[in-house]
Amino acid sequence: MRKRTLARGLAGIWWVTLFFLYVPLFVIVLFSFNSANSTAIFENFSLVWYRRLFGNEQIIDAFGHSLVLAVSSSIVALVIGCLIGYGMYRHRHRKLGWLIVLIYLPIVLPDIVFGISEMAFFVQIHAWTGLLKPGLGTMIIAHVTFQIPFVALIVYSRFVGLDPTLFEAAKDLYASPVKRVVHFMVPTIKPALISAFFLSFTLSIDDFVISFFTAGPESATLPIYIWSAIKKGVTPEINAIATLMIGAVAIAAIFSMLFNRQGRR
Amino acid sequence: MSYPGAVPTARSRAMVRETRHLLFTVTPGALWIFIFLVLPSAYLMGVAFMTNGPYGLPQMPLSLDSFERLAGVGFLGWSPGNLYTLLRSLWQTLVSTLLVVIIAYPVAYYITTCREKWRPILLLLVVVPSWTNQVIRAFGWMNLLAPGTPLSSLAESLGLVAPNMGLYPSNFAVTLGLIYNFLPFMVLPLYAAFEKLDTAQVQAAQDLYASPVRAFWHAVFPQTLPGLLAGTVLVAIPAFGMYVIPELLGGGKGMMLGNLVANQFAGSSNWPLGAAGAILMLIATFIGLFAMRRIGKRLGGGEEVVI
Repeated sequence: MRKRTLARGLAGIWWVTLFFLYVPLFVIVLFSFNSANSTAIFENFSLVWYRRLFGNEQIIDAFGHSLVLAVSSSIVALVIGCLIGYGMYRHRHRKLGWLIVLIYLPIVLPDIVFGISEMAFFVQIHAWTGLLKPGLGTMIIAHVTFQIPFVALIVYSRFVGLDPTLFEAAKDLYASPVKRVVHFMVPTIKPALISAFFLSFTLSIDDFVISFFTAGPESATLPIYIWSAIKKGVTPEINAIATLMIGAVAIAAIFSMLFNRQGRR
Repeated sequence: MSYPGAVPTARSRAMVRETRHLLFTVTPGALWIFIFLVLPSAYLMGVAFMTNGPYGLPQMPLSLDSFERLAGVGFLGWSPGNLYTLLRSLWQTLVSTLLVVIIAYPVAYYITTCREKWRPILLLLVVVPSWTNQVIRAFGWMNLLAPGTPLSSLAESLGLVAPNMGLYPSNFAVTLGLIYNFLPFMVLPLYAAFEKLDTAQVQAAQDLYASPVRAFWHAVFPQTLPGLLAGTVLVAIPAFGMYVIPELLGGGKGMMLGNLVANQFAGSSNWPLGAAGAILMLIATFIGLFAMRRIGKRLGGGEEVVI
């Protein structure tokens, strides 16, 4: 008897929590189809905000910046992070404490401190030398900085999971180091490379705070555009962009669910 | 002729090669992080000890002015605005972390009571909202809590807020936003702890006629402590440095340390003061990490606590 009340209580808490988690997103999706410019009263179904959205060049530009930033920073981070990950594995018997601290630093540093210190630094360097003008370039630098640790740790843990004798075998079979890298290492860690790239990409696309402080006046990404639109005054156009972004997340979630299912079989 | 020396030469040559390999693989990344993060942070720390110039940019001479201003010393005597912001950040962090724990415990436990087939999907359902951008999530709450919305009207008719004020912007909205943002970070580690739970201990407690509360406290709670600690690190440290949520949901009176710092680099420019705030945030972060590591080690083998 008591057990059943407990189970019911738990299920109740679960459903309320789920409601709490999805209601804000649901409201955004709902009001993106509102014909009136209001977030309190729903008038009629309409696609007017979506039509406006695709006619707004600023939004298209912001989306483009987000993509360019995410792809280019992920590629740079993948190369640099892979090298570190392999170095950490190959020399894991040495004392590399300083390297570990360096690698964890971007992860533990609060976003705001990260963003502000880079911004202050870039501004100062720009004042002295004229280099590092705030814009896509500085944003790419900042993003690579927080992506490197994740790539390095993913690649490192993949190497640790491998049978060490594989490396000996590869050494015996392929003469040159270049061949070893091309024919052995890259194919074996390919899954780690793919997941590292996607993680870097998502971290970059999702980032707001660090982008916000390192951006220049003409390099606003989608989250920065949304932020300034909210600050200027709420419009349902924002609901429409946000809905599209929520849609992208939903698709990703469905894929990950299917992937999960398949992995279990 | 040189045979006796041949072995060490080969070895030292291998050593040189290994070191060159280490430098080749590690240097680009280490240098990158050093130049683009360690140097900027060091620069920021330096700025905190400089004087505020006429345009908000740092100047010589060195001074502790910024720290005094954070502690409540103003140009015209006592002005505790900054100090209040600091205390508010601590309070918000404490309250939201506590509430997140209270919600996450039953949720994580509920997931472990479900069939194994469903558990990954239930976890995914908890995590998916946090995949959307945090600006959008805060915006969703702005829509829900603004004056004139059903929730605000309900709160007004219950007399919880003044008429036509709405639930946002307010400190309450910030707390809510923080809970919403960080709940998944607590559910995941707690779920991992619950999944490994040794139910024999719970059974033993029940056999000894322990009340459910005592059974939980003595048989379940200690076993989930590593998960709780990991979750607390993941929630409390970023919550203390939160920028987006207080900025959007809090308004002027809901400002936290992150907003105070950011404002000094934007509108009301005072770089040294902002840098001093950033140092406080860093100190809080490292104290938090260090304390959790210590507690985690004392718990014994708390591998999952060490992040």
